[in-house]
Amino acid sequence: MPKGEFRPMTADSLPLNKSGKIVEILSSPLKINLLELGFLPGIQISLRYQAPSGGPMAFLMEETLLALRKSEAALIRVELI
Amino acid sequence: MSEATLSNKTLTTRIALLGNPNVGKSTIFNYLTGLNQKIGNYPGVTVDKKSGSVQINGETFEILDLPGTYSLFPNSEDEIIAHRVLNQTKLEAKPDYVLMVIDSSQLSRGLFLATQLMDLGVNLALILNMADLAEKRNIEIKTFELFKSIGVPILSTDARNQKGLEEVKNLISQRNFRKAPGFIDIQQVIPSEMLNQVLEKFELENHYQAYQMIRFGSKDKAIPASDRAWLENLIQTSNFDLEEAQLEETKIRYRKITELVTKALFKKSGSKPSSNLDQVFLHPVFGYVIFVAILLLIFQTIFSWAAYPMDFIDGLFANISASIGTMLPDGPLTRLLAEGLIPGIGGVVIFIPQIAILFGFLAILEDTGYMSRVVFLMDRWMRPFGLHGKSIVPLVSGVACAIPGVMAARNISNWKEKMITILVTPLMSCSARLPVYIILIGLTVPDEVVLGFINLQALALLSLYLLGIFGVLGTALLLKFILKTTEKSFLLSELPPYRIPRWSDVGITMFEKSKTFVFEAGKVILAISIILWVLASYGPPSRMDQIRIEGQARLESVTDETQITEIEAEITAQLLENSYIGIMGRAIEPLIKPLGYDWKIGIALITSFAAREVFIATMATIYSIGGDLENDLTIREKLDQQINSNTGEKTFNRASSFSLMVFYVFAMQCMSTLAIVKRETKSWKWPLIQTAYMTILAYVMALITYQIFS
Repeated sequence: MPKGEFRPMTADSLPLNKSGKIVEILSSPLKINLLELGFLPGIQISLRYQAPSGGPMAFLMEETLLALRKSEAALIRVELI
Repeated sequence: MSEATLSNKTLTTRIALLGNPNVGKSTIFNYLTGLNQKIGNYPGVTVDKKSGSVQINGETFEILDLPGTYSLFPNSEDEIIAHRVLNQTKLEAKPDYVLMVIDSSQLSRGLFLATQLMDLGVNLALILNMADLAEKRNIEIKTFELFKSIGVPILSTDARNQKGLEEVKNLISQRNFRKAPGFIDIQQVIPSEMLNQVLEKFELENHYQAYQMIRFGSKDKAIPASDRAWLENLIQTSNFDLEEAQLEETKIRYRKITELVTKALFKKSGSKPSSNLDQVFLHPVFGYVIFVAILLLIFQTIFSWAAYPMDFIDGLFANISASIGTMLPDGPLTRLLAEGLIPGIGGVVIFIPQIAILFGFLAILEDTGYMSRVVFLMDRWMRPFGLHGKSIVPLVSGVACAIPGVMAARNISNWKEKMITILVTPLMSCSARLPVYIILIGLTVPDEVVLGFINLQALALLSLYLLGIFGVLGTALLLKFILKTTEKSFLLSELPPYRIPRWSDVGITMFEKSKTFVFEAGKVILAISIILWVLASYGPPSRMDQIRIEGQARLESVTDETQITEIEAEITAQLLENSYIGIMGRAIEPLIKPLGYDWKIGIALITSFAAREVFIATMATIYSIGGDLENDLTIREKLDQQINSNTGEKTFNRASSFSLMVFYVFAMQCMSTLAIVKRETKSWKWPLIQTAYMTILAYVMALITYQIFS
């Protein structure tokens, strides 16, 4: 992929052990909850664990492991690094 | 109230302890207050008010432990409390000072809440806890730099390893708190005019308080309806997007925090790798295997460990009853004491071992960080039923005993998910149902092996447990569509690093939970057991007296030892049959006839509302089996001989026994659970609804069972 281009994707489709940089948090009643936890544009997250059958996902953000439901991760737009 | 106590009350300095979840706040609270903790109520919510007192240099301070929260934006009942205590001067006595605990390795997240507190204008001090973890991650905080920027006192501690805690006491005793200058200017996001209006109306101190009132006041039921309407009207007429403002506030705040943290935080390179335990514990297959193994271990321990203290308590109270019965002169008061009150207290105390052990394990799982992994693994399987990943703990605890299960539901922050969990947990087959199951299975299911290895009795027992689980899931699913809430369900939680449990915290949890049960639920349990005792011991005097006189005459006519015992047992049975409970048992006979029961079982159904295992004791009394209750065989043989006077068949034939077992799977039949549900939901409404639905469910299922097998 040429430099400067990225595929727009949300964190729930991030491949395991891959990192993404947060572009924006999509509008939802949960947006504020994500922001107050520190899911802010520019922050880097990586998918570390995935519960089976569409269960929750665990992202590493800076030093902390955070568990999110798939539907919650789908609110985080990221660009794959 | 006398003048002395009044002035005392105003003199005690109140300090609120606040922080994000998992920052070691409770360790600090436990360190300060030890066992001087008490549980109270906040009006209108089910969250407990946890406070304690600490003596420093001869002066008493009251510490209020607020539920963990990431912000002052209330998303759940827990967070509403923090919001309310810090904002409202009229409803809750506002604390004099706020001590906020921050995880040193998560500075930005902690500062988010801290700077909100600064904006509120509270007297604040910060504790940068978990210094060890920060060090491990090669994070160095320039405390002085931070202090210069925010202007509130800062302490660094490592509460787990008891480091820096003396300084916390000194800080409190010297009242080293500061009202910091505001961190952000909320007028950037909300029109000043609107803020000023609210500021004047509610006599608030600053713009951020006004903003909090505008944003959340109209939804807080603790605020008078007229004031809420006024706020609602203000918001509507201003036509201002408050949610957008809140997002804007969050962005501005985090931007400033990031600037601050860049200055105050130094991150050395080469941070040590974090543990890889999650590769196993969160594994899609092994993760579940380990979880089941841990559960089995816990149950094994509860059943084998709890049995000893429970037997001891049982024996102790039986002895006390017996000695009171012989020591005091016979009379209604002695009997009330020996047969009503003492066994009633015993009935409360008997649960302590199970509650303490289960909460000991839960505290260990919580403290090591494993519990949040369980929630991670189970959330997906709980959600379709309107439950949360956190519901797994109450449900699984319910297999031992519903009481600690219901108490554990407190950790679920979403109201609806918490209510569903509390309402369905007693459907899990608890250990008190086991004796009833075993007697009835032994009576009707042949001890045979089919298909080479399946024991029919074991299969029957397994079916009863599975029936309970289906009951849980089905009812939860139904409640999912009935209960309504505006709160949104979310997981969004931290998976904290694995740590060694702090044993003193585990001990305090065990003590506090047992204490809560005894003192909060104990009152109700005691009251119900006395009522049941009175109903079972008294009847219409003419009938009761006649039985006693006739019995006395019969006793005098015989001399043989065994005959005397037999006649005495028969008299006891007759007295119970003619007591008020006996009369009630007869009265409900038409109702329970379709289930295959006679009035004798009816009596046992009523008495065993105290606790399920009472069923067997009542049966023994009614069929005048007498003394040796321990011997299952005697009671089983006796029951097997009973003939139902309505049908002429055996009372305990296959159909009626199956029906009875199914009834016990679903029926509430436990006043202790009732009492604890009342305590946890803070109202009589939910325990009554729960008893009603479970009884109806039990009735219908038992009816179906009887019709199928007869």
